[in-house]
Amino acid sequence: MLELIMTFATFVLQSSEPAIPPTAAAALAVGLAAFGAGYAERGIGAAAVGAIAEDDDMFGRGLILTVLPETLVILALVVIFVV
Amino acid sequence: MSIQNQGGSNYEYVTARVRSRRARLFDEDDYRKLTRMGTGEIARFMEESEYETEMNALGSRHSGGDLIEYALNRNLAANFEDLLRWADGRLYDYTARYLRKFDAWNVKTTLRGIYSDAERGEVEDDFIRAGELGEARLNRLLDAASMEEAIEALRGTMFHGPLTAALEIYEEHGELVPLENAVDRGFYGRLLEGLPEEPDRATELYIEFLRAEIDFRNLRNAFRLAYSGADIDPADYYIDGGRLFDEGDLRQLASNPDELAARVRDSPYGEDLDAALDGLERAEGLVGFENALDAALLEYSDQLSNRYPLSVCPVLGYVLAKEREVDNIRAVARGREAGLGEDEISEELVIL
Repeated sequence: MLELIMTFATFVLQSSEPAIPPTAAAALAVGLAAFGAGYAERGIGAAAVGAIAEDDDMFGRGLILTVLPETLVILALVVIFVV
Repeated sequence: MSIQNQGGSNYEYVTARVRSRRARLFDEDDYRKLTRMGTGEIARFMEESEYETEMNALGSRHSGGDLIEYALNRNLAANFEDLLRWADGRLYDYTARYLRKFDAWNVKTTLRGIYSDAERGEVEDDFIRAGELGEARLNRLLDAASMEEAIEALRGTMFHGPLTAALEIYEEHGELVPLENAVDRGFYGRLLEGLPEEPDRATELYIEFLRAEIDFRNLRNAFRLAYSGADIDPADYYIDGGRLFDEGDLRQLASNPDELAARVRDSPYGEDLDAALDGLERAEGLVGFENALDAALLEYSDQLSNRYPLSVCPVLGYVLAKEREVDNIRAVARGREAGLGEDEISEELVIL
């Protein structure tokens, strides 16, 4: 296992190409941002559903608060155009 | 119901629901209105509030103070049952720990019912079905005709062991006290069992609260014994696990109210209870002191639930506030029935 990693590392270090090409890195960035947004929405969503269960009027507010972290992904999308 | 100790806790969901319910409890204005009403009006007021379902369900069978009392109990049970249904993981464990006190209440009610040969229906009305004992077990308890049967029905619960031990003493003396003590011991013995070794700050505070609950129970017993002057060995009522007294202290202090008060003043609770102790020394009676104990607890739990929003604290704050609300409305209704004046009733209320 260790040898395999060593070989891989030498290969990566010796090749002139970057290990992660720019477009792949951008895709990763967006993906990680989406992951973060999803994690944030988990908590907010749970709380929002709780509030809505007690009081139907909270639906609109709950929905807005739940999708707020989605802005993270939108901002991360900028990376795609920068690359 | 089994103890669900696996998986994560869903603090966000439970906290949101609990806070919403906490906000809908009666506030000071409502109480001011309530203290001016007769029992009939209180019943109507409750029908238009959170208690609607219970009032409608019981309205045909009971009336007056009884109707209000039973509706309150049922609503309390329904609300706390909800808490247990929502909560997962450790949160469930923490919540159930405290709510098991209603199991203790139900068991005590049954034993008292058997002792006094009460009708099955009467005992059932007094049940608060908020704890962990399921419907089937409670029914078996209700069906029990003798102490032995009732205790047998509790096999596998935390009450079975202590009750079996106390049964002999009961049969010797024919007194209910040892059995009731056994129930309390069963409950308080489990209260602090199996808590995490290195809790986070919020959980630590919760454990501290449970400990305070034991202390306050001991304190109440001590003050009652001290003021009633009854010739009972206080050690019989002593509950282990608090940080205020040990068994010997209690025996010594119960015979001397002044020393007892001084002891409490020096304790960690002294600051919160200072005013209450002053009142007690001016001989304003035990009721004021006990209410001050409750108010101090309530205020503290409110503070905690703001400081640690994603913990067991908001749930605890709600449970306490709901209990106080039920106690308050009951006090108003019973007070009205007994013909007490507005001021006298307000003294009985615990309002923040």
